[in-house]
Amino acid sequence: MKNNKILLALFAITFMMVLVACGGNEGETSGETDNENTEDTNTESEESNEEDSSGEQVLKIANDQEPAGLDPHITPAHSSVRVYSKIYSTLVRFDENMEIASDFAKEWDWKDDTTLVFQLREGVKFHNGDEVTAEDVIYSFERILDEETGSHIASYLSSIDSMEATDTYEVTFHLASPDATLLTNLTNSSAAIVSQKVVEENGDLQQVAVGSGPFKLEEWVPDNRVTLTKNEDYYVEGQPAVDKLEYYTMVEEASRLSAVRTGEVDMTTVTAQSAELLESEENVNVMDYQSLEYSYVGFDMNHEILSNEKVRQALSLATNREAIADIVWNGQATVSGPIAPSMGDWSIDVKEHELYSNDLDQARQLLEEADYGDGFEIEITAASTYADMIDTAQILQQQWAEIGVDASIKQVEWGEYIDIWKNTSADVLVGRNGSGSDPDRAMNYFFNSEGSANVWGYSDEEYDEIVTNGKTTIDDAERKEIYVKAQNHLLEKSPNLFLVSPKNFVAVRDSVENYQPYPHNSEYIVETTKK
Amino acid sequence: MIIPVLFGVSIVIFFTLRVIPGDVAQTILGTSATDESLAALRDKFGLNMPLYEQYFTWMSGVLVGDFGVSMRTGAEILPEILSRFAITFELTILAAFISWIIAIPLGIIAGVKRNTKTDFSVRVISLLGVSVPNFALATILILVLSLSFNYSPPVGYVGFFEDPLTNLQILFLPAFVLGTGMAGAVMRMTRSSILEILRQDFIRTIRAKGVRERVVIFNHAFKNALIPILTIIGMQIGVLLGGTVIIEQIFSLPGLGQMVLTGINQRDFTVVQGAILFIAFVFVMINLLVDLLYSYLDPRISYK
Repeated sequence: MKNNKILLALFAITFMMVLVACGGNEGETSGETDNENTEDTNTESEESNEEDSSGEQVLKIANDQEPAGLDPHITPAHSSVRVYSKIYSTLVRFDENMEIASDFAKEWDWKDDTTLVFQLREGVKFHNGDEVTAEDVIYSFERILDEETGSHIASYLSSIDSMEATDTYEVTFHLASPDATLLTNLTNSSAAIVSQKVVEENGDLQQVAVGSGPFKLEEWVPDNRVTLTKNEDYYVEGQPAVDKLEYYTMVEEASRLSAVRTGEVDMTTVTAQSAELLESEENVNVMDYQSLEYSYVGFDMNHEILSNEKVRQALSLATNREAIADIVWNGQATVSGPIAPSMGDWSIDVKEHELYSNDLDQARQLLEEADYGDGFEIEITAASTYADMIDTAQILQQQWAEIGVDASIKQVEWGEYIDIWKNTSADVLVGRNGSGSDPDRAMNYFFNSEGSANVWGYSDEEYDEIVTNGKTTIDDAERKEIYVKAQNHLLEKSPNLFLVSPKNFVAVRDSVENYQPYPHNSEYIVETTKK
Repeated sequence: MIIPVLFGVSIVIFFTLRVIPGDVAQTILGTSATDESLAALRDKFGLNMPLYEQYFTWMSGVLVGDFGVSMRTGAEILPEILSRFAITFELTILAAFISWIIAIPLGIIAGVKRNTKTDFSVRVISLLGVSVPNFALATILILVLSLSFNYSPPVGYVGFFEDPLTNLQILFLPAFVLGTGMAGAVMRMTRSSILEILRQDFIRTIRAKGVRERVVIFNHAFKNALIPILTIIGMQIGVLLGGTVIIEQIFSLPGLGQMVLTGINQRDFTVVQGAILFIAFVFVMINLLVDLLYSYLDPRISYK
């Protein structure tokens, strides 16, 4: 008994020690890499916390997902992009009219079809104080193109043959072939200018972030918050307008709604359903914008039945896309082709297309011609992680039943879904794609027989030729014609059925001014202020 | 006992994780990954090695306190587990505290006043506590507080030592939800345990000696009724410490449960393995503590 008491006391002491030890360690990630600087930042951050009440402008944003890492070159997740796009500079960016505008590059000039020269801004500094030069630009793109890095945007920039620093503030890109998509792809937040020194010190940039963009990383507390502070030396005069951005990870939608209603946060993304709930709120505005995403149904092109073009066309005719927009997305979606309607005049008006007419008689007739007049059985696979995919599958099941197609639905977890996607081990797969900011991604990447994301086994020489031509044609008007042709061709062959492009919603409190959500890089925040 | 249990747990987690469908590298890098990037990631984390080799590499690290780094973010796992455990630990203590305040007095009253209206009401309350799911209560609470009282708990977690007031504000709601859930079970156990003790001979003897009823109940009956109550409290604390996945998610608390959940969804094996092994360790420790408490409460129980 006496022994037990001693043991008990020991136990209690150990537990207290664990608690104290844990309490002191908050698992923070500092934005600075130099050990000497770390101390400074910590004291600074304490000071600035005190300043909150004295008029420092802090914009609080609730996100539905935790960033998956902060390395711009290897992390495609949207939850990461919205953070690192504020920290790093790119050579060029899109302005509000989706035109290419200057960012870190002051000017650029096509010497000929395969030589592009960038004049860089002078005296720009990384957040650690080092100057950004042509060498850093070259290093950044070499890192992206290096196979070992495994960058998700390497294929976008594959036309780059070599680069040279023609001056401290001038970089010349030599291309292997003419590439009309290059400038657009350079606006991608992942085409970020990083510091060689920081990469070498840390191995990768998942935990540290030292860029030259409008905000600096102050700290990242996993599953909790990311704090960014204003870069006082940012090269655009007067930007950013707020002193601090705080991103909070709040997975539960009810919590985000509650927080934006009561003003605990200034803005958050919401679903269409919640957007309706917030409509009657006086202090909250709901902004919507057409996303660059579209939902689709992918077919295994080597499937016994689905390899028949007429069957796929019949399924397209049997699909009522307006009904999907109404039921799955509460009416907050637009019927879409392979290039989402938010891409403006790159996308064709698919509603006019014959296969979008939902003509059931014609669908039955096509099945008849394909020798499947009595219908057939098929399995639709969807990811249970996303309610919209399951809903879409269920509606398709009902719609296709009208022409005698007996579809069953298989729900799989996200990891398994990606596996199935990759190996095309489903007959029919419901999914969502981002059509990117250049039509080349939507058309080439997903459907060229060599395209990295063409998992469907769609192989069509005629199509390949059209889209390869699209990539190398520099003249805009000519390119547009090519993509009109490519879209019509793809709709006709229907390796995928393109369904609808949903709207995205952001709930913003009315104290926030000059905030604009954009489809291509989620938001424009450098001029945003708070009343 | 502890060592084989933990060893067994480590084997089970390690191999079940590998059975889950879904390629690790692909899930981590997403649909836009290239073959080169997949190969690079597999190489980096030794995913190409035979399973038993991977297991031994992992275990030999764990034995010297090196839980490895996250496959996704490259962050060290052990410090992360500890800082998250602090949050889960505090939440558990608060929840347990709230449940005791509610459950033990009510349970004693119900036991003493058996079959009266008071007893009946307490039993209804405890049944509600047990049967209303945590997540439903949590969501309703958030929405009601926001819509009717315009209140929302502060966003973002701050540690107790940084700002105790905000910290308690953040943790109160989730602790309350968990506490009421626990209270139901503890209340029922307290009631039945008190009932049983009150029927025993030694209580009659004490009463016959003329000891006041209050003293009878608190000094004699309650102390003897504690063992079953303690068992159930120990179990519940053990479960809560393992991370209250749903509640942490609803209230955006960066605790252990969140860590495991995010880890599983992202196929971040090293994180999930490490966290679950740690949870198993804590669970075993809590049970050991409960066993030791038994002998403190009832000197007849002793361990050699």
